[in-house]
Amino acid sequence: MKNLIKYEFRKTLSVKLILLGTAALAQLAFMIGLWTGRERIYSLGAFILLLLAFVGVAVIGLTSVLILHRDMNTKQSYMLFMTPNSCYKILGAKVIENGISLLLATVFFFALGALDVSMLMAHEGRLADLWSLVTQFLEGIDSRITLDTETLMSFAFGLLASWFSTVTCAYLADVVSTALLKGKRWNGLGSFALFILLSALMNWALLRLTDGIASVRTVFLVQAGISIVFSAVMYVLTAQIMERKLSV
Amino acid sequence: MLESRNIVKKFGSKAAVDGITVRFEPGHVYAMLGPNGSGKTTWMKMAAGLIKPTAGEMLFGGRPVDLESRKEIAYMSTEPYFYAWMTVKDVGKYYADFFPDFSYDRYLRLLERMELTEGLKTPELSSGMMAKLKIAVTLARDAKVWMLDEPFNGIDLLARDEIRRSILEFAADDRVLILSSHLVEEMEAIADRAVFIKEGRLAEEDDLEELRDSRGVSMADRYRAIYGRVEVEA
Amino acid sequence: MQYDPNSPIWLQVMTVLETDIVTGKRPPGDKLPGGRDLAIAFSINPNTAVRVYQELEKQGLCETRRGLGTFVTEDAERIAALRKELALRAVRQFSDRMRLLGISREGAVTLIREQEE
Repeated sequence: MKNLIKYEFRKTLSVKLILLGTAALAQLAFMIGLWTGRERIYSLGAFILLLLAFVGVAVIGLTSVLILHRDMNTKQSYMLFMTPNSCYKILGAKVIENGISLLLATVFFFALGALDVSMLMAHEGRLADLWSLVTQFLEGIDSRITLDTETLMSFAFGLLASWFSTVTCAYLADVVSTALLKGKRWNGLGSFALFILLSALMNWALLRLTDGIASVRTVFLVQAGISIVFSAVMYVLTAQIMERKLSV
Repeated sequence: MLESRNIVKKFGSKAAVDGITVRFEPGHVYAMLGPNGSGKTTWMKMAAGLIKPTAGEMLFGGRPVDLESRKEIAYMSTEPYFYAWMTVKDVGKYYADFFPDFSYDRYLRLLERMELTEGLKTPELSSGMMAKLKIAVTLARDAKVWMLDEPFNGIDLLARDEIRRSILEFAADDRVLILSSHLVEEMEAIADRAVFIKEGRLAEEDDLEELRDSRGVSMADRYRAIYGRVEVEA
Repeated sequence: MQYDPNSPIWLQVMTVLETDIVTGKRPPGDKLPGGRDLAIAFSINPNTAVRVYQELEKQGLCETRRGLGTFVTEDAERIAALRKELALRAVRQFSDRMRLLGISREGAVTLIREQEE
């Protein structure tokens, strides 16, 4: 299992290095802009970082799905399925790699964001005033909304978990497409429909089950919990189909 | 040691393997013969556990092939299958990580014989070098059964001698070697048994020296007789 | 080595070894390669190599000493007899060929003499 996970990280390395490199460049631009007082440069840096925080997490998830697809549909599949490892372990390694990567990416961008915001505030005193104005305004609209760090963190965690479950939905859809529908006429459309259906189901559950919870922070955390349970179910189902039906 | 009972594999409605019952015993080098698309590769992939049969059974030591049998059955596919980021060294490390019967020392010896070095990047290998690498990494496993699909394809004359030499070095009383190839002449002397597959079925099984002894017939002769006008490549 | 795929390979390898024994390339008492080494050296199946030694032993041309290996016989008479067998085999082949070409016994002998001069 340890080895399987190691190679899953190796397979996704280049994508992560690209993301990290881009983030480093944007961060550099941000800091240089800040020190030299060039607003256009640091706002560009900040914009790219913000974009990257969302796109990066999406890219990590997508990469994982694409690699699973390649690992089942090209000759490279022999590399995994020739080894004495069950599909539970093979898929499990992918799920674990993706979970850890998503978590690390979220923590990384969250920490970087916090750092940059405090740097910016220290630099531009006016911004700190603006920030408290915004939070007060939001609290004025709905007392449940607070922009404290903990809420932001639960928000990030909830988002991460729901994205994780989306990735596991995509695993299932791809495995169904490869193991069960291969060569069938409606394969592509069918598996895509399955993916949409599962995602919709999960989102419905997320909303339905958190209905009536007062604290926003709790909502985010409960949603994260539901997403993780959902992901676990997707994992077991997917691995079972692979184990029984997958031919590479 | 390795046998299939009435094994069938269908892709859609087409049967790639259509009920093959065959048994491979230790201590022999088998030539598995048949034109492209006759079902050899599909049969081997079922034995390797890569493809699940539609019907019938694939048994190793009397038990259906599973994760345990993958530890003892080494399969080499015709096509390259290594990850693009891998060097020759990475390939060896990968096998060492996953196959308990793999020996890195033996791998190094085989690499040297095949004139390959650890630093070579797999995507930059010529087809002949790639073929040699696949053989080296597969034979570096101390497997009970080796299945080599087209081991002589794309390999020059001298390297073919090296491959034959390596195969003979590891053939033993308690091992099974199955070589599939359409280069029949390459296998006349090193194989002692031939299994002919035709249109997904077992067409014939022969003891080669027996064939030559009693009838003065070669494996290539049988090939021509079984597959009719199909050309035998030299 | 190139084999005739239509005749038994053990026989072809055996003939090579017999010739080596007669010509002294493998002198009496010489240690012969082990089964696997013979298989590798001649690029033949290991079972075929085993057969080669079985036949050589049956013919009294070599002997296996337990734990030591297989050795060329030191029986000079047996080797002399082998020389004659191989010579006879060559003559038989030669005369078969001459008969096929329609050359008489005398004609063949004349040809040999002419060739030697």
